[in-house]
Amino acid sequence: MIRVATFFCFAVSALACLALYHVSEQTRVARTELSAVHRQIAAEQQSLHTLEAEWGRVADPARIQHLAQARLGMDDAPAMELSSLKLLPRRGDEAPLGEGQVRTASAVVQAGDPRVRLAAVQAGD
Amino acid sequence: MAAGGVTTIVQRRIAIVSLICVAAFALIGVRLVDLAMLKGGSAAASTAVTRTIAARADILDRNGELLARDLAVHDVLIQPYSLTDKPKAARDLALATGANEKRLLRMFLARQKPNEFVLIARQVTPDVEGEIARLGLAGLEFDPAVKRFYPKGRAAVQVLGQVDSDGHGLTGLELGLDRQLRAGHAAQLSLDTRIQFALLHELEAARAQFAAKAAGGIVMNVNTGEILAMASLPDGFTDESEVGGGNPFRNRMLRDIYELGSVFKIFAFTLAMDDRTVRLDESFPIGRGFKVGRYLIRDAEHMPPTLTAREILAQSSNAGTAQIALRSGPDRQHAFLAKLGLLSPIRAEDPEGAKPLLPRRWGETETATIGFGHGISVSPLSFAAAAAIVVNGGRRIAPTFLKRSGDARGEQLISPQTSATMRELLRYVVTNGTGKLADVPGYDIGGKTGSAEKSVRGRYVAHKLLTSFCAVFPIDNPRYLVFVMLDEPHGANATGVMALAGHTAAPLAGRVVARIAPMLELPTQAPVLADVSDPP
Repeated sequence: MIRVATFFCFAVSALACLALYHVSEQTRVARTELSAVHRQIAAEQQSLHTLEAEWGRVADPARIQHLAQARLGMDDAPAMELSSLKLLPRRGDEAPLGEGQVRTASAVVQAGDPRVRLAAVQAGD
Repeated sequence: MAAGGVTTIVQRRIAIVSLICVAAFALIGVRLVDLAMLKGGSAAASTAVTRTIAARADILDRNGELLARDLAVHDVLIQPYSLTDKPKAARDLALATGANEKRLLRMFLARQKPNEFVLIARQVTPDVEGEIARLGLAGLEFDPAVKRFYPKGRAAVQVLGQVDSDGHGLTGLELGLDRQLRAGHAAQLSLDTRIQFALLHELEAARAQFAAKAAGGIVMNVNTGEILAMASLPDGFTDESEVGGGNPFRNRMLRDIYELGSVFKIFAFTLAMDDRTVRLDESFPIGRGFKVGRYLIRDAEHMPPTLTAREILAQSSNAGTAQIALRSGPDRQHAFLAKLGLLSPIRAEDPEGAKPLLPRRWGETETATIGFGHGISVSPLSFAAAAAIVVNGGRRIAPTFLKRSGDARGEQLISPQTSATMRELLRYVVTNGTGKLADVPGYDIGGKTGSAEKSVRGRYVAHKLLTSFCAVFPIDNPRYLVFVMLDEPHGANATGVMALAGHTAAPLAGRVVARIAPMLELPTQAPVLADVSDPP
């Protein structure tokens, strides 16, 4: 009986050792993979870091203006805001700006002024 | 088993082995539970990898746009001992990095021992690094380093400042916010990249148009003290020959002081209105000038024999303003300017604020000249902060480069009624006075011109002007202040060859307002359509 018990104990012990080795090996592999993933994440973060900085450079207003002038033939045209975008009428609504004389508290813009026509076009007139 | 309950040696050995087995099982069991259920916490912790932590935190604009960031780069070194063809290596490396080929070759020949290295280039970007790696040279080493990168280039270079090669702030906000940035806390500035660009662009155009030596500008929120834009030219991106030996990264708006001239009249009038020493419809003799002590104060342009106080400001009469300033007296003027913060260095996050230059003796003559902006030199930012108090309802404001939320006005320094009167007067200057060219349809701008003769070797020179304009809008309830300045502008054909502020700085301020106001979501009301039968 004792022999059986002893054998049983050793067998279980051996099995437990094997299981422990297996778990330990799995842990080692998982740890290696985790390290690799962390390294990858760090590299990705670094790339994002650099790309964000690069985006900041390419989205620089000075660069966009330069490109718009050089490639699209756009010019630094005089601009005048007569109304905020929120107040512009929807399509089909009556436009608030016609070809008439427009006056604000500060200045009068004559009816032939190209800026008024521009505003009228924007307003859907 | 021994009879009579006496254990044999064998039985005792078996018991000992059994105990050892049980102990071993217990240990194995505990470890299994730890690994299976507690996930081997210590093991997981030990796998933590080094994350890429920037040595210095980011600087962002008010909309979250990146203004400064540390990027991981490499310093490139090479071991000349490993090179077989040194002249070719020097040539290739010079092409890839921009280094001096002759210097490289000289260094390669001078350092031939196995343990000697030559620094090829510092802080090379990843693309250059790839180019170097593709050369396939033996003995190359890439040492990790950090480079401060400013994606917006010149836009706010003088405000942001610089760092040294070890990542310590040297100038500007890099110095002022050094502790915060090195602790890893990002800084969100009050600057708006779009407005900064618009200001810089208009300054550059005006500087070219009037062939001015220098130009500068500030955009500030008068209720929060936030500086939305600040620029001065020439900057580090201008042709070096233009800079004339000065530091191109110098923030003139903060670090330099100027006799600003007639824009200072704002304060003489504010004091007079606050103390009620002058009525706006009161007439003052102007025509032949005004004598203070042994000095005769005259106006640059022809003036009528008398002007009302309102017209004195609108036409920018020095003789008239001197009389108004003298009604306040030296002590009261000194105390008032001190209260506005004009007599001490400006306090903002940038620690380089200049100390104002004040007269040694503050007598009657000085009171009269300071009234129209001569005899006292302050930084443009100090001036802008004080002018903001005048128009924001009269409450103290501290200029800041950091984003704020909500009204930050403090102590009441000037009565609200005086502030309202000054807003009305500044509007009058634009509609009826020297600031007409600053007006922009759709926005009610108030402002004041300033054309100060520069002092050269102790004498004022009539043709060397420092012109400026301080604009505030919308004038009925001001939110923003624009201050622009041109150093020695020359009259252009478009201005009838006039170099005074009304023809140079005023239109510049108007163009800046026209450009930035839509970005600032102004105006909020539709314009009024004029009745054709109602002439303007």
